[in-house]
Amino acid sequence: MYLNLAFRTHFTNMTSGPYNYSYIFKYIIIGDMGVGKSCLLHQFTEKKFMADCPHTIGVEFGTRIIEVAGQKIKLQIWDTAGQERFRAVTRSYYRGAAGALMVYDITRRSTYNHLSSWLTDTRNLTNPSTVIFLIGNKSDLDGQRDVTYEEAKQFADENGLMFVEASAKTGQNVEEAFLETAKKIYQSIQDGRLDLNAAESGVQHKPASPGRPLAAPPAARDNCAC
Amino acid sequence: MWYGTNLQRSYKYMMFSKMPSLRIDQSDLKCKNGCDYFGNPQWQGYCSKCHREQLQRQRWAEKGSSTLPKPEQKKESGFKLTSHSSFSKFEEKRLRQSETLKKANLLKFSVFKKSSTDDHDHAMERKPPEFKIPPMVNEGMKRDFRLRFPNLTPQMDRDARLFAHSFIMDVIKCSNVMTVDELSERVQRQYQRFMKHMDSSSHFANVEPDTKELLMDFVEKHAMTYLHELPSVVFSPAGTEDERLDRAMSERIQQLSWVGETHLECKLDRTNAACRQLLYKAISELLGMDAALSPGGKVARVRRACRHVLALCGAPASADDLLPALIFTVLKANPPRLVSNINFVTRFCNAQRLMTGEGGYYFTNLCCAVSFIENLTPESLNMDRKEFDCYMAMPASIGGSAWAAALSLCGASREAEEQRLQVENLMAETRALKEKGDQLAVNAESFEKEIAKKVQDVLAKTPLEIKPRRELPRLGSLTAATAALIDLEVDKLNPSQINNVPKIEQHESIPPLVEQEPLNTNKPKLCPDLHNACGSTEAQPKNLPATSTNLQENVTQIIPQNQNYLESELIVTNIQYQDEPIITFSQTPEDKSPSRSPLNPWEVKQTSSLELLTPSPLGFTPFDSRSIDELMTPDDFGSEQVPGLSNVNYDIDLSDFSGDNSLAEDVPREPKDPFSPDPKKYYPFEARDPFSPILDKFDEFTLVDTKTNETSGAFEVIHRASSSRDPFSPVLQESFSLERDASLLDDSHSPTSTSLLPSPLLPQTSKTNDH
Repeated sequence: MYLNLAFRTHFTNMTSGPYNYSYIFKYIIIGDMGVGKSCLLHQFTEKKFMADCPHTIGVEFGTRIIEVAGQKIKLQIWDTAGQERFRAVTRSYYRGAAGALMVYDITRRSTYNHLSSWLTDTRNLTNPSTVIFLIGNKSDLDGQRDVTYEEAKQFADENGLMFVEASAKTGQNVEEAFLETAKKIYQSIQDGRLDLNAAESGVQHKPASPGRPLAAPPAARDNCAC
Repeated sequence: MWYGTNLQRSYKYMMFSKMPSLRIDQSDLKCKNGCDYFGNPQWQGYCSKCHREQLQRQRWAEKGSSTLPKPEQKKESGFKLTSHSSFSKFEEKRLRQSETLKKANLLKFSVFKKSSTDDHDHAMERKPPEFKIPPMVNEGMKRDFRLRFPNLTPQMDRDARLFAHSFIMDVIKCSNVMTVDELSERVQRQYQRFMKHMDSSSHFANVEPDTKELLMDFVEKHAMTYLHELPSVVFSPAGTEDERLDRAMSERIQQLSWVGETHLECKLDRTNAACRQLLYKAISELLGMDAALSPGGKVARVRRACRHVLALCGAPASADDLLPALIFTVLKANPPRLVSNINFVTRFCNAQRLMTGEGGYYFTNLCCAVSFIENLTPESLNMDRKEFDCYMAMPASIGGSAWAAALSLCGASREAEEQRLQVENLMAETRALKEKGDQLAVNAESFEKEIAKKVQDVLAKTPLEIKPRRELPRLGSLTAATAALIDLEVDKLNPSQINNVPKIEQHESIPPLVEQEPLNTNKPKLCPDLHNACGSTEAQPKNLPATSTNLQENVTQIIPQNQNYLESELIVTNIQYQDEPIITFSQTPEDKSPSRSPLNPWEVKQTSSLELLTPSPLGFTPFDSRSIDELMTPDDFGSEQVPGLSNVNYDIDLSDFSGDNSLAEDVPREPKDPFSPDPKKYYPFEARDPFSPILDKFDEFTLVDTKTNETSGAFEVIHRASSSRDPFSPVLQESFSLERDASLLDDSHSPTSTSLLPSPLLPQTSKTNDH
């Protein structure tokens, strides 16, 4: 949160707020059961910890509009079932995801050990430009830590992933994870690595002001964004 | 003829093997091309001409598709298969149908739509090239557009409709030559094309992006709804395995009916009513997916179903909970044509929509659930293979009975709830009706009062004036004629005015009651009254008791009798109650039901005669009034004691007597009367009631009878009763009758004797009664 003053985020009312966002990014959150995927999502969309508001129902699908480099982006985040037995059938989740948040629990080593299979799935089922972000959740439970930061960091570096340890309970680094991912995706759009017209890209472009030519925004901001 | 159509129907049912539709109407028997001829099952539902064209086209398509990939060949094999094994096919379908019906029974799946399932039989069918989209589609779009986008310009509407039209035509054209995947891609490109058109067109320059999406959905909905109806074009298209997979899936789900919530490790509580209810709702929505026609509609159903499932999972639900619960729901629902539906949506829903958005998310979950069920293994249920096999070998009907029971309970309760609502609606309707009825009654009452009041006013304003006619010579000829006239009048008036008259009737009869007191005190008054009455029997014939029938000679006799009677009565009884009479008298006609009921016939009669009496105020035709006038004339003469005229009077009087007699007869004590001859004597009068000319002959006899018996009888009866009974009620009755007599006298007095003077009593009494 403190890192990215440039990426101001703000909430908009889903029902009546301005819909003048330019892009829609689709995220998926993957990881073993119980690593706190839904809590991360809830923390990001509602700024609340899920256990604190027991009346919340249906946090498996969340949207939130953020701003990256002056562009409003609507994030659509799909939570997925993490059970091993559903692994084989959840591939349709991956279709058209622009970003994948891979979550493990720092207090449970098994969740960390499964990361490689999750990563394989993600790589196989998404397009090459999909941004994968590794999140070690439950950083507030540092006393029960089972996976060190360094170990995970090394894994991330080896596989070219972005990595952060976060806490869905305290909200620490949650925003950053989502925003960094958005920023990376946006960059790849501007670099032209991500084809907006491909249905599988996971990105929908919506010209905010109708008169504006289609290709203009990414091209025009190519230089100033980074 | 009847047999013929029936046969055709059964044939059709066999060959086309539709999903259970509740009714097969005429249109189903028509040629499928819609050319208005009747189709024949042997020609695959076409008429002969269309069938030939169809065959030609098929041959052409086969030739053309020999180079195309396999699906076309599959199609052909499917066609061949159907040509010789329609019966086995039918059996298969029947099984499925019974299954579906069972489900429908269980879950009250209300929307039985006619669907284009199982079009295997005519998989080769294609739309003819000259095909035109029915204008209904266009009209429907127009209407829907106006409803949904009231703010958008007609140009946009036109654009959308144009696009939908070209889109449909394109799909139909391409469906002949393309595989499903190619078609799907083409459709997706069409969607993108329209999106781009909206982005670039000046028509859509200032439309919000979200509105554009809605427009996109709108176009998709209408185009696809129409295409969905066409068999084997987009829904379970020819050349795909969709239908076979549907069946396989349905069987598979049935086999897995033993899978419970514990196997899937989802936290569902069967004993919880709310939980059951939610599951029931979710299942209903899932079943409804088949009924929705457009991909968007189907997705919306899935979304709603998943929302229920999510609620089912409990408060902080995550995707970890959602998926197993959804799998469980699908297992319990066994939605019809599941694979076809999913494939339809996947292929032809706007891909952008499907990949993003809530609907897309839930639909993806459903896809996951289905593919999980498809590939279910013992491991995926954390189960021993042996146990799993054991379960799978079990007949489908055994497993899952607990949930089935719970759900059927749910269905029953839902049904009960629906019925309760219906009953409530009915009750509300009934209440409304009752209110209206009450209102009507009130209105009628007020109307009646108003009319009564008006009549009273009119009567008060224009008191009956009977101008005496003194021409003697006419009388002889008139007697016969007048009798007929009176008859007519009675017949005419009685039935129609029975309802209204009693009130007026009462006014007439009650005022005397009020004036009973003066009567009691001033007996002498009676005498002139009686005199008048005797003379003017016509004026108030019905009112007159025995006394009034009499001849002038009799009057003298009667008067003493009356006086005696009155005197004695007054001395014995009335004096004691002198304070009360007014109240009691006035009450008697109203409160005393026994005394009242006998009155009724009398009253009716009276009304008729009353009408006779008051022709002009009521606006009768001059003819009627004239006849009455003629009737009156003899009376006047009678009052002037012209002996020759008495015949006429007697005729009329007699009728009234009969009325009086009936009253007397109704009084239960009469039999005890020592002067029993009364009834016998009354009979002849009753018989003569209608003013029949025969009476003329009897006049003299009757006169004698009436004279002697009636006078004494009428009074005697009352007298006896009053004396024998307990002091209170008899007095009332007696006084009532007495007063009636008196009243009659009074009334009779008014029209005739004071024919030239406005009668002082009548208007006043009527007023008092009114209030």
